[in-house]
Amino acid sequence: MPTSVTAARQFLTEEAARALDEAVAVARRRSHAQTTSLHAVSALLSLPSSTLREACTRTRSSAYPSRLQFRALELSVGVSLDRLPSSKSVEDPPISNSLMAAIKRSQASQRRHPESYHLQQLHSSNNNNANATGCSQAQAILKVELKYLILSILDDPIVSRVFGEAGFRSCDIKLALVRPPVAQVSSRFSRAHCPPIFLCNLTDSVFGRVGYNLLFPGQEDGVDENCKRISEVMAKKSGKSPLLVGVCALEALRAFTESLTKGKSGILDGDLVGSVVISIEKEINEIVNEGNDEKMGLKLKEVEATLEKCNGSGGGGVVLHFGDLKGLIFDGALGDFVSPLVLRLAGLMEVYRRRLWLMGAVDSVEIYRKFCDKFPNVEKDWDLQLLPITSSKSSFDGAYPKSSLMRSFVPFGGLFPTPSDLRSPLSGRNQSIPRCNLCNEKYEQEVDAVKKAGSTVSVADQYSENLPSWLRMAAVDTSRGEDVAKTKAGESMLSAKVLGLQKKWNDICQRLHCTPTVTKLDNPSMSQVPIVKGPQFSRDQNRTSSGDLSINESLFPNQSPSRQIHMQTNFLPKSTPSISCTSEGRNMNFHSVLHVDVPSVTQQTDKDVPWFHHPRQSLSSCSGRTPSSFVPPVTTDLKLGTIYASTSRESNTTKSLNHQEHLQRFSGSVSTEFDANSETTSYQFAQSSSCSGPASAEQFDLGDYKSIRKALAEKVGWQDEAVNSVSQAVSQLRHKYRSFRGINCKGDNWLTFLGPDRVGKKRIASALADVLFGSQECVVSLDLSSQDKLGHSNSIFECKELSSYDEMSRGKTMSDLIAEELRKKPHSVVFLENVDKADYGVQHSLDLAIRTGKFPDSRGREISINNMVLITTSSSITKGNVKVICENKVVKFPEKIILGAKNWQMQILVGSASDDASKSNYMGVRVATVKEASTSTSANKRKTMDVVESSELEKTDTGEREHKVPRSCLDLNFPVEEADEEDMGLGHSKSESMSESSESWLEELFSQVHKKIHFKPFDFDGVADKIVKEISSQCQRTVGTEVALEIGEQVMVQMLAAAWLSDKREAIEDWVAKVLGRSLVEVGQKYNLSPRSVLKLVACEGDVVKEQAPGIRLPAKINLN
Amino acid sequence: MGYNLLEALNVRVVGSGDRYLVLAHGSGTDQSVWQRILPLFTPSFRIILYDLVCAGSVNPDYFDFSRYTTLDPYVDDLLNILKALGVDRCAYVGHSVSAMIGILASIRRPQLFSKLILIGASPRFLNDKDYHGGFEQGEIEKVFSAMETNYEAWVNGFAPLAVGADVPTAVREFSRTLFNMRPDISLFVSRTVFNSDLRGVLGLVSVPCCVIQTARDVSVPASVAEYLRTHLGGRTTVEILRTEGHLPHLTAPALLAPVLRRALAR
Repeated sequence: MPTSVTAARQFLTEEAARALDEAVAVARRRSHAQTTSLHAVSALLSLPSSTLREACTRTRSSAYPSRLQFRALELSVGVSLDRLPSSKSVEDPPISNSLMAAIKRSQASQRRHPESYHLQQLHSSNNNNANATGCSQAQAILKVELKYLILSILDDPIVSRVFGEAGFRSCDIKLALVRPPVAQVSSRFSRAHCPPIFLCNLTDSVFGRVGYNLLFPGQEDGVDENCKRISEVMAKKSGKSPLLVGVCALEALRAFTESLTKGKSGILDGDLVGSVVISIEKEINEIVNEGNDEKMGLKLKEVEATLEKCNGSGGGGVVLHFGDLKGLIFDGALGDFVSPLVLRLAGLMEVYRRRLWLMGAVDSVEIYRKFCDKFPNVEKDWDLQLLPITSSKSSFDGAYPKSSLMRSFVPFGGLFPTPSDLRSPLSGRNQSIPRCNLCNEKYEQEVDAVKKAGSTVSVADQYSENLPSWLRMAAVDTSRGEDVAKTKAGESMLSAKVLGLQKKWNDICQRLHCTPTVTKLDNPSMSQVPIVKGPQFSRDQNRTSSGDLSINESLFPNQSPSRQIHMQTNFLPKSTPSISCTSEGRNMNFHSVLHVDVPSVTQQTDKDVPWFHHPRQSLSSCSGRTPSSFVPPVTTDLKLGTIYASTSRESNTTKSLNHQEHLQRFSGSVSTEFDANSETTSYQFAQSSSCSGPASAEQFDLGDYKSIRKALAEKVGWQDEAVNSVSQAVSQLRHKYRSFRGINCKGDNWLTFLGPDRVGKKRIASALADVLFGSQECVVSLDLSSQDKLGHSNSIFECKELSSYDEMSRGKTMSDLIAEELRKKPHSVVFLENVDKADYGVQHSLDLAIRTGKFPDSRGREISINNMVLITTSSSITKGNVKVICENKVVKFPEKIILGAKNWQMQILVGSASDDASKSNYMGVRVATVKEASTSTSANKRKTMDVVESSELEKTDTGEREHKVPRSCLDLNFPVEEADEEDMGLGHSKSESMSESSESWLEELFSQVHKKIHFKPFDFDGVADKIVKEISSQCQRTVGTEVALEIGEQVMVQMLAAAWLSDKREAIEDWVAKVLGRSLVEVGQKYNLSPRSVLKLVACEGDVVKEQAPGIRLPAKINLN
Repeated sequence: MGYNLLEALNVRVVGSGDRYLVLAHGSGTDQSVWQRILPLFTPSFRIILYDLVCAGSVNPDYFDFSRYTTLDPYVDDLLNILKALGVDRCAYVGHSVSAMIGILASIRRPQLFSKLILIGASPRFLNDKDYHGGFEQGEIEKVFSAMETNYEAWVNGFAPLAVGADVPTAVREFSRTLFNMRPDISLFVSRTVFNSDLRGVLGLVSVPCCVIQTARDVSVPASVAEYLRTHLGGRTTVEILRTEGHLPHLTAPALLAPVLRRALAR
């Protein structure tokens, strides 16, 4: 409904109302039915002292002459007005809704800024736009001021289009309006430098300016900064004789005296007015160089006379300028003449303190110091004041380069980024997140729409054509197979669709909000996916989709993307070589999945189905089979599944729903080898889904704990307690999610691993990732201490690590690094090692993260971590968590040493043993701490051996008989380790000041985490014993009992590290049997071994392993000497 | 009055702690350059951030061409800010120009500063008889004329050079702030800086200083750090950062922060 003109007028100040009247008149002339914003613009432009026009003048781009541009503007306004339909003439064309809305908007913005409103009033009165409204009326009904009206009108899209056609940007004009022309010169540039137009900025520009001007009084033209400073010094009561210090001091001194003699009265004031400058520079030169002080005497007399006169007249004074101080300390034989001069001047100073100023310059402080050494009292006597001079004026002579630059500046004025960028890190928190939520919402809506759409198009024929084999297969097993197929088809269709949608929204999100997405997968758009929701499938479809949804909502309520992303990751492995995710490709995939599935139903116990050529495939089939009715090998499945999780997952997820419904049927046949308290169905399901990921996560239940425990224990067999408590924590966590449906208690998804066993912790983390997110790859693993560590080169652990801190983090802080990783993998186990070493930034971020559920990076952007499980580790145990760990037991192979293990090639050396009795009776295999050069032959090595015997570690079967190993001795073997420790020690002392706060921080953090889990140290000694036993038996088998084998400690450490790292438990035994055994056999063949022979297994230092044995990080073959 | 200065130069005081720390940016940047360093120090210091009057984030109208002809007015600004904030003692971290400003300020008010940390500082950029500042007068003139003819091109060429290390984000960031400066102001300030010569007055500094320099810096040769160490009046230490570029606080904050912390602790 248009508003009548009179009604609209009451909202406006007189001035604005006048403008409105004009606008109405324009509309009337053109016999338009309503007065629109366009009319208002037209009227505003034609007003005599048009603010709008003036603003346009200031903003217009310099590319066109102003006259032309205004012409263009008028034309475009005119054309737009012409386009409006004319009607029969109305007396007063009422105000259109859009214009009325503009008035309302301006009213609102004015109300929001009452202060600026007054200011505005004030200001506009300055601009001769005085209006009578004043403040009193502001209370009654807020009358819109013209400026605000214009600003609001400019917001109108039609108006901005019209301006745009004429080459104006309405935002520029707004800016110009808000920032009135303060300085003639530079207002044009202001838009590049001021915050973007918000009305509140008005205060700044008006107030700040005025105040600032006051701050710099007295800026007379032509007086340079140095002169000003000098005169400031001279105006003081004491210390008024400036001694200019600096390389440019002399120049500045000259410039100053010059301007003094020229009589620039502007410089001097007060006592200085009317003073004369007398230079004794030349005279000093003469004294020093020629010893002629006559002239000086004369000059000084002259000075005295002048001073006398000044005293009498009561004005003026003498500025005695002695030039470069260097002249006075000239180290010559004639130096004697200087001291009388100095004294003389001091005398003069005393007498005519008020009238005399001494002045000089000196190159550098050092020279002045020397001078002071000679004449200790000179500073006081001469009343000197040092004045640092850092630049001469000379290079600024002439005009400022302003004018020429201005021109060059203008063309790219528009390129200047708005300063809002500047503020964004401070004020613009959360920026990326809400936007992405927006996208997610939209995405969700679409997903729902797709799901609800039901049977839209039926292209089932095509689908079945694509899957002939599947149909055949399905026919084999009549009832069940079909059912499976149906659900599968429905589910996969859905997921394909969802995938398409998700892709779409990810794209949009990425494009719009620059959100890093996780996917590299090139998914098809929806259209490519054959839509197969045939009517006969619809029932199943509904069921699956609802199940799907419930999972989605209940488990990860606030993170709908979780599912999509999992889908995505789940689909990733599918896109093996040929499959670029076209619909066909996916069908093929189904195909294979079905293959896997159907046989599992039909031939229940057949493990070696002939078409499972590919080991992976067979694995996936195994794990896929589990839920159906393939009972016995559940555990093996799991094991295999975890190892090859990335591949087995594929079938699992697509089938998870399938399982769900089949479980009911098969629950009878499902084994009951597990505890009674676990619901068989859900447990069984959980079991399978421990590798299958989140799609089935809803089902996790009481059995959850056991299954997780099993999965973890599979990986880290030696950490029973830790595994127990981790699985407990995780199942609790899941249970909580389930029962509270979206209530996320902060810190719930945080765990802390304390104590030793770095590898174990890491393994548990990756196993958890596998359990929770379906892939071992879903781990963000960062070592917070790594920044102060130098990389161990050739470390056996090397390949496991992420690329070193240095490479990844150039120009980034640690918290940025973490944030980046989190962004890359929004669903993952975040594994932060050595959290006790975190720098402050990370501490801060973690603090916020645990409290708010969002991890902020250093720029304040936040990443939600609600979908992650955060694991922080610390090898140290803070005071608060002292859990007694028996550390008093001496360990032969502490973890620290193992961590220093290198990936060297190994070598067997052959030598002969001495007949030393003590040696002849040992078991045959032992570990020597001797570090041997690989080239040494045992014959000349004997001596050394004997010497170091005391420090030899003797490995026997009992193994518990501990030799106290001097630490220093071990250090010799591990120079890197030692250096490292030193480094750490240094770092510790460095951070001493903060270590305390850091510790308290740590404690606080740990108090907030869901659970603290203590790790036991890995039993390296036990493993070492085992290895030694294994090797000795191997040795006896291959080369006979009488031959002794010595294992270099380095090799031992290497083997221990490898055993620690290896996935399989028997890997090291395998290696000993295969690699070492083979080598020993070779040795036996090659050398004629006598009972006195000693074989030595040592590391070839500097020779990195080229070929690794499968399954373990040890060389695939051992060199023979 | 002082209040308005604080506003004009975007003075911010952040953090909690009983000690004041001034973070002063160099030319071509603004206070945002400290954003990666800032969070590391907010808990232990009250940090004063401000923009030099020449910074792009300050209204260019405030830049008085007749006033800012030497570094002293900048020093005035700094001292006025500290006065307005009621600071009677503070540590000072200054980069490039601000390092010079800090030196001058500490000469004028030695009691005000407990420590000067000078990043990429140089008392004189031009070479002299027995001084290697890194630049020849001729080169500088060429640079100036390049700035004058096409500022944008100059920025695009200079930014990566100054940043040194291969950190695109830092280059982007530096380009942004550099480009935010009005070209005429930028040129004028550059002239002022290159015209300045602090060599003679270094001996007047009595405040303990820490000179932080990167291993390779286009603007400041390594010898300059040594020169500063020998000539600065106060107890002075030199820290060489194992990174490159003139802007370590932008490119290697993780490297710089511990050094800063250490220097501040002493």
